[in-house]
Amino acid sequence: MNKVASNTRAKDFAAARSLLINLTLRENRSKYKRSTLGWAWSMVNPLATMLIFTFVFLYVFGVDPPLGSPSGLKNFGFFLISGLLPWNFLSAGLTAATGSVVANAGLIKKVYFTRAVLPAASVLSWNTNLLIELGVLSVALIFVGQFVFVYLPAALVVIVLQMFFVLGIGLCLGALNVYFRDIEHFLQILLLLWFYATPIIYPTSLVFSNPRITGPLKTVYLLNPMVHFSEAYRDIFYNLRSPSPSTFFYMAVSALISMTFGLWVFRKLEAKFAEEL
Amino acid sequence: MSDQNAVIVENVSKKFRIYHERNQSIKQMVLRRSRGVYEEFWALKDVSLTIPVASSYGLIGENGSGKSTLLKCMAKILVPDEGSVVVNGSISALLELGAGFHPELSGRENVFLNGAILGISSKELNRKFDEIVAFSGIERFIDTPVKNYSSGMYVRLGFSIAINVSPDVLLVDEVLAVGDAEFQMRCADKFTELKGSGCTIVVVSHSMEMVQSLCDSAAWLEHGSLKMSGPADQVIRGYLDHVAHNREATAPAPAAPDPVAPIVPDTAVPAP
Repeated sequence: MNKVASNTRAKDFAAARSLLINLTLRENRSKYKRSTLGWAWSMVNPLATMLIFTFVFLYVFGVDPPLGSPSGLKNFGFFLISGLLPWNFLSAGLTAATGSVVANAGLIKKVYFTRAVLPAASVLSWNTNLLIELGVLSVALIFVGQFVFVYLPAALVVIVLQMFFVLGIGLCLGALNVYFRDIEHFLQILLLLWFYATPIIYPTSLVFSNPRITGPLKTVYLLNPMVHFSEAYRDIFYNLRSPSPSTFFYMAVSALISMTFGLWVFRKLEAKFAEEL
Repeated sequence: MSDQNAVIVENVSKKFRIYHERNQSIKQMVLRRSRGVYEEFWALKDVSLTIPVASSYGLIGENGSGKSTLLKCMAKILVPDEGSVVVNGSISALLELGAGFHPELSGRENVFLNGAILGISSKELNRKFDEIVAFSGIERFIDTPVKNYSSGMYVRLGFSIAINVSPDVLLVDEVLAVGDAEFQMRCADKFTELKGSGCTIVVVSHSMEMVQSLCDSAAWLEHGSLKMSGPADQVIRGYLDHVAHNREATAPAPAAPDPVAPIVPDTAVPAP
């Protein structure tokens, strides 16, 4: 076994933290480089998606937008975007984290550093996007008379929990992708399925009022952690209320399980990265 | 360091898989029930050596002898299958200069990024920034994206960063073959200066001239095994004699190898 002198452990940790910050900055700086709109793209994407979905659901399907309570909001656009922004973070964060180890093959083969910072930087970089987008959404909510700022501390907790949830899965997939490049492609199918299994374009009440969805299926539905994350974001940014304690509990447990499992898988596989890449 | 040795390599073995047919997709793996057809190849076999603090050490040997693999084990990039490598103090490895540079970012941004990859704190980087840029000699282009750099500029900036990490142990793999003569001379000076300040240097090189001038001791690896180690001039002489001997043995079409009494017992024919 390879022994590591204990005094280098602390140094390793400090170095990993500084590297994580720098890699996140690298991703952030290079993300929209050479595009004319730059960081505005972070807003253009969700806005365009919102407009398309709003058109399809409101005008083509004639869906009645759910009533936000106690906010009194009845606006499909706000309803949709409050679920879509955290979803986009999950989707982009996972895709980036999954490819992160393979994309940095050159670095892994030539330099020693804590490998886990690669998926972590990808996730943190997309988390930056989420923060900016939620900030803009909060300002937009003020304009329609909704003072969302009271709930921002709660929102921060939700964001941190979701970040760890995404990071755990990202670590696992990023490491597995070194051995099986199918993971990247498989992920896209999983994300499509996951999108519809999460209340983004519909409210959770739609699932529970559906007579065809019975006991066991409901349990399976509720096992999806993103149901609870989506509910929490919607409570804060559409209903304007604090998410229930049980929702916080589900989110914390999901984040914990995801991180424990993700780190375990990553630790197991990282020793051979330099050879496998 | 309280320890006398900077690097202790104990009975290190490292095997690689040589894939003849590799299954990198789940479908193939399930169908064939394996990750591919491969044979095992020992890149390093039971290598032990110690490198004293503030010395310089050369690793020599022909291509494929395991020098770079050993260096990568020291750098913690590869994990040995058997044995242990202990390095006392911080390591900086010059395996590839400018690894991790982002082409779209400026030289300045890349100095901070690459520095972080090599484990320098941003406080230290801020302090050393001017020195790094001055050593690389590309002050004028520091705010230009590195994709517009010439390969020489790229390497010079990478080298300046790596050399300014002020590591306890510096691992160098054939990187000095790049850059112009003037820059190479500056690198040699820098190595001497580092050595003077207590830095341990391990060099992998094919240039006997360089090992001779730079290193106190050396190790000669052949087919993954340690053939000889000791004072640099002795090891180099041993290695060069062996190479000359080998050429003599193979050049005048040798008679069919005698399995009972091999002509040259030491010169191991590569094991399949």
